Amino acid sequence: MSHWLVIVGVALVTFGLRASFIVFADPHRFPHAFRRALVFVPPAVLAAIVAPGLLAPDGAIVIGLANPRWIAGLAAIVIAMRWRTPLAAIVAGMSALWLLQWGLARLA
Amino acid sequence: MDAIASPRREFLDGCREIAPVLIGTIPFGFVAGVVSVASGMTPLEGIALSVLSFSGIAQLVASQLVAVQSPVALTIAAAAVVSLRFLMYSAALSPHLAHLDRRWRLLLSYLMTDQSFAMTVKRFSEPGDARHRHWHFLGSALTLYVSWQLAVVLGAFAGAQVPATWSLDFAVVLCFIALLVPAVRTRADLAAAMVAAGVALAAAGLPYRLSLVIASIAGIAAGLAIESAHASGHSAAEPRP
Repeated sequence: MSHWLVIVGVALVTFGLRASFIVFADPHRFPHAFRRALVFVPPAVLAAIVAPGLLAPDGAIVIGLANPRWIAGLAAIVIAMRWRTPLAAIVAGMSALWLLQWGLARLA
Repeated sequence: MDAIASPRREFLDGCREIAPVLIGTIPFGFVAGVVSVASGMTPLEGIALSVLSFSGIAQLVASQLVAVQSPVALTIAAAAVVSLRFLMYSAALSPHLAHLDRRWRLLLSYLMTDQSFAMTVKRFSEPGDARHRHWHFLGSALTLYVSWQLAVVLGAFAGAQVPATWSLDFAVVLCFIALLVPAVRTRADLAAAMVAAGVALAAAGLPYRLSLVIASIAGIAAGLAIESAHASGHSAAEPRP
């Protein structure tokens, strides 16, 4: 039951935010300070998701060979800076992770 | 010189131009389907979330919170925070779509994503007559929508067959990296990202991934602070492409 509340709630907020100015409001009445703040939403939110995914995949921060994800993630970041297509970062990151997992399993 | 492109021409151009993006979004959609079901939702619930919200990021964040049994209101609030960027997109597109009737604007709002937004803004910025360019938007958005939903359905039903050693969930983090890197264009963007990353790690122990919301707000504040400091210290603000 609570799953369906989540589904309906998430549907309403995503649609409401998308439709906000296209359907309902006049963007000229959009407060300037708010508009300035929104510019930083993508870098802030995405970094807040990415950092724990790389450095604390199981909840605690692990920087070392026990956690190959931050190394694979670093490789993906470098590739993404060079090639703008999302595929390059995904392929590079997955390959790096598989290679590291394979190599570390050999070492152990 | 500039012939007015027909609705059909615009629509097909939109479909064609979004195609390279699908190479990234199809695996992302598959993973979104896998992660939804892994969180404890049924395949039907995962697919419903996808069809109704059509946002990979909102779906992943909601799934992560459902998996740790966080309260419904907090789950919805977290999905709203990560979706705030849609406000910005909606404001940017609204002048171009103001001439359309309400049904068109409702439909295009529902279908708007990061990818089709970027493509549509580019199309509207080109010279020439713009009266049929909403068909370009519809073409790119609908192509993405159909392929995305098929990928989610596949992930929701076939995801359980994928062995855990493949670490397919890492593809989600990589999708976010692929969106994050081009989003960091100025020093203030970098400050927003670095502070958000640091706070997210420092607050990682908080329940229900509250760290995500706190870190996002801290990052936005840092971006604004750096931008203000920069603007007052120099005569010209950093140009934003």
